[in-house]
Amino acid sequence: MADYNKPIPSPDPYVTQPFWDGAKEGKLMLPRCTSCNRVHWYPRILCPHCHSSSIEWFEASGEGFIHTYAVQNRAFGGWADETPYATAYIDLKEGDRMFTALRGVDAENPESIKIGAKVKIEFDQADEDTYVPYWRVVE
Amino acid sequence: MPSNPSMSAAIVAAAESDQIGYIEEGTTALNLHIEAIRNVCAEAGISPAEIEGIFATNHANMLAEYLGIHPKYIDTTAVGGCSFQMHVHHAMAAINAGIIDIAVVSHGEAGYSARKNQGKGTLRGGGGDPWLPSAQFGGGIYGNWGAPSNYAHALTRHMHQWGSTKEDFANIAVATREWATLNPRAVMHSKDTHPAGGPITVQDVLDSRMIVWPLNLLDICLVTDHGGAVLVASAEKARSFKTSPVWIAGAGENQSHQDMLEMGDFTATSALASGEQAYRMAGMGPGDMEMAMIYDSFTVTAGITAEMLGLTPRGEGPSLWADGNASPGGKFPVNTNGGGLSFSHSGMYGMMLLIEAYRQLSGTAEDGVHGLPGKQTSAQSAIVNGTGGSLSVTGTLVLTADV
Amino acid sequence: MPSNPSMSAAIVAAAESDKIGYIEEGTTALNLHIEAIRNVCAEAGISPTEIEGVFATNHANMLAEYLGIHPKYIDTTSVGGCSFQMHVHHALAAINAGVIDIAVVSHGEAGFSARKNQGNGTLRGGGGDPWTPAAQFGGGPYGAWGPPSYYAHALTRHMHQWGSTKEDFANIAVVTREWAGLNPRAVMHSKETNKFGGPITVQDVLDSRMIVWPLNLLDICLVTDHGGAVLLASAEKARSFKTPPVWIAGAGENQSHADMLEMDDFTATSAHASSEAAYRMAGMGPGDMEMAMIYDSFTVTAGITAEMLGLTPRGEGPSLWADGNASPGGKFPVNTNGGGLSFSHSGMYGMMLLIEAYRQLSGTAEDGVHGIEGKQTSAQSAVVNGTGGLLSVTGTLVLTSDV
Repeated sequence: MADYNKPIPSPDPYVTQPFWDGAKEGKLMLPRCTSCNRVHWYPRILCPHCHSSSIEWFEASGEGFIHTYAVQNRAFGGWADETPYATAYIDLKEGDRMFTALRGVDAENPESIKIGAKVKIEFDQADEDTYVPYWRVVE
Repeated sequence: MPSNPSMSAAIVAAAESDQIGYIEEGTTALNLHIEAIRNVCAEAGISPAEIEGIFATNHANMLAEYLGIHPKYIDTTAVGGCSFQMHVHHAMAAINAGIIDIAVVSHGEAGYSARKNQGKGTLRGGGGDPWLPSAQFGGGIYGNWGAPSNYAHALTRHMHQWGSTKEDFANIAVATREWATLNPRAVMHSKDTHPAGGPITVQDVLDSRMIVWPLNLLDICLVTDHGGAVLVASAEKARSFKTSPVWIAGAGENQSHQDMLEMGDFTATSALASGEQAYRMAGMGPGDMEMAMIYDSFTVTAGITAEMLGLTPRGEGPSLWADGNASPGGKFPVNTNGGGLSFSHSGMYGMMLLIEAYRQLSGTAEDGVHGLPGKQTSAQSAIVNGTGGSLSVTGTLVLTADV
Repeated sequence: MPSNPSMSAAIVAAAESDKIGYIEEGTTALNLHIEAIRNVCAEAGISPTEIEGVFATNHANMLAEYLGIHPKYIDTTSVGGCSFQMHVHHALAAINAGVIDIAVVSHGEAGFSARKNQGNGTLRGGGGDPWTPAAQFGGGPYGAWGPPSYYAHALTRHMHQWGSTKEDFANIAVVTREWAGLNPRAVMHSKETNKFGGPITVQDVLDSRMIVWPLNLLDICLVTDHGGAVLLASAEKARSFKTPPVWIAGAGENQSHADMLEMDDFTATSAHASSEAAYRMAGMGPGDMEMAMIYDSFTVTAGITAEMLGLTPRGEGPSLWADGNASPGGKFPVNTNGGGLSFSHSGMYGMMLLIEAYRQLSGTAEDGVHGIEGKQTSAQSAVVNGTGGLLSVTGTLVLTSDV
């Protein structure tokens, strides 16, 4: 953790805390609207689909699929040491989409990465309280 | 002739955030906005999705995204505490013009909490609101450093979804460079203007440095200095200047998302909606257009936009540039100044689109300074589309020559 | 009924800055703007002062000030590279509504030079453009830290020029606090809401901590958290909501300067011009107004604005509040929510003016949450004025009840 040299997100104490609390325990917590039963990402104080304010958090499977990706050949700060590395948008099994840096891929060969490939979430401890989510290709 | 807009619009509801004043447990500007909009819609008895115009000094794009609104009018005018009176003024004009029927003017400002929270994350995040969704879950955490990092994901998806190729998009850069060679003010006009200037091939694009796969250096616009201005005048006054008018036959704007996290289809933009709006106002369609000025921050931006504007079938955007169709002497000139790819692009390129469209349609497209012939076309109508954010927001104009 | 604005405006000229591209000797965004506007006006054969509307993503207020323009319409919408297409869209609506006849859409962006100049002054200046006139010659180098530092100069001059007194202005704070006493959501409603809440006297104001002479603490607004929103709708739809409409009879905006360096008469603001435009659109005058919501960032802001809106003779602004005239039960209610001085003020107060004006004119001004009676007046018309910047920019609305 002391050597985490990349930008560290600032957990928002008003809305997103349950996600970050879950991350600490290695769980993917997602918000779901209890009115229309749909999952949304990023977390909100009202549902983007039906605008209800009844939102609950639940533990998700932590599984998803690559929607699209790119390989970053240029980067700054701590990420400069990692180039080239792949970033991707992940279609969550439960619905909606997250952004991430991909693991378990060969970024030197961009064409070897497959849209639709199955991925699983994992968390890196960045500081005492913050665990940053990453997704790894598992097939 | 303009008519007095007095009484053409009304304020129909007003509401505040759940809490106001000194909120000891703290809050964010975004939450204050969202609460207020939720409350004002509840009072009026409408869904936020019915809102067509968004007026806010901060977070305007985020509000639309957060609430799932695709606004036909966005105004982020921020000139201090009077901005809200001006928003009402602006909204009235937009309503009076029939562009929108329902607008929200929203305010969210954590004057007290922001002071209290100073240093609490603000510094870690490096300025700005560290608690915005995109700051917590967007690209910055994973090293994204700017537009290329984001836009590359759209090209990957386009190739996957529509079977397009790197070569198809590279050809957009090639055709655009051809136009640059006819524009002596273009940065990439020739070896005289820049060591890397002059004509290029598809292979040159593919061989240029890989910046963010699948975007090579030559798929990406320049970063230059640029100033530009256009004058817009009423129909009554339009012919009273030394210069000739180019008419605004149609105009439209729209937003599909702000952060790419919320982009539904990575191969489509709100140019579909803003283009439709502009065509409808003009009473014209894609088939009536004789040239196009299309935002080309990246080859993928231009390619996708061509589809959205109805200039090609879906999935075949780059075909607009194929076989010399959009090149000098071709049937449908596109980006006749040399584009953001080869002319000049200071970061926000939309002004350059306007200037070149004006010059083409007013017959003044030869370079005034150098007087070289070649880039003036015979087009009498143009579709002009700007794209902002991460393929997020678009503005489309249909312009016509004076007859 | 709105009519199609197609062809109601034209782009009549287009021009660039003197140099574009990679400007090796360097430049600033402001210079690029100014060159482009000078050039476009020269091409069209007009003076920049003929421009009535200014549209720019950056430096808009400064451009107007720099060129001596007093714009009737300012739009600083900034949503990325498509902003300029949207500016044309917005200008079309404003022209179609008869608000302006000539607008400039301007762009200045030193994409190349800003990169090159990184650390060259930027860091010394502490972020932002270190080379704007205000940054070099304005208050910063002399320790001015915010609006109070500047606004105080206006009060000094008012007392000198018109023979007004600290007591005259202090009374504005006293009367405004009376209204806060009727608004349970006001921060300074009572000792229960804040230990400094409840009624105050002129002496209390004069005895409160001196912040920037001649402004005492109680001459200065609060800094709170606040969210608010109003919905606007077209005349056709205005009566289709659960809530009643309040009509926008008139609207206007204007700017006299951006930095106080360029403020000519320190006892006058552009509210004179913006209210004239609003009254003219409404076909009404100050004598037709039954109440006012006036921006009170400071007692001096409110006092001067009362004069500008024609509610008192010149030099006698504070007299509007004298003898209980503007107090609860008085003949001409002002700032019935308790104002930025005693209700809530998050930094940009204009939204709170709108919400309270809507509530007064729709008969819903009693606090919805607490149900305490007293602040609802019988007014059927209101003048609403916001002030932004350093007494720089103003927006004025004339609102009327539904009858």
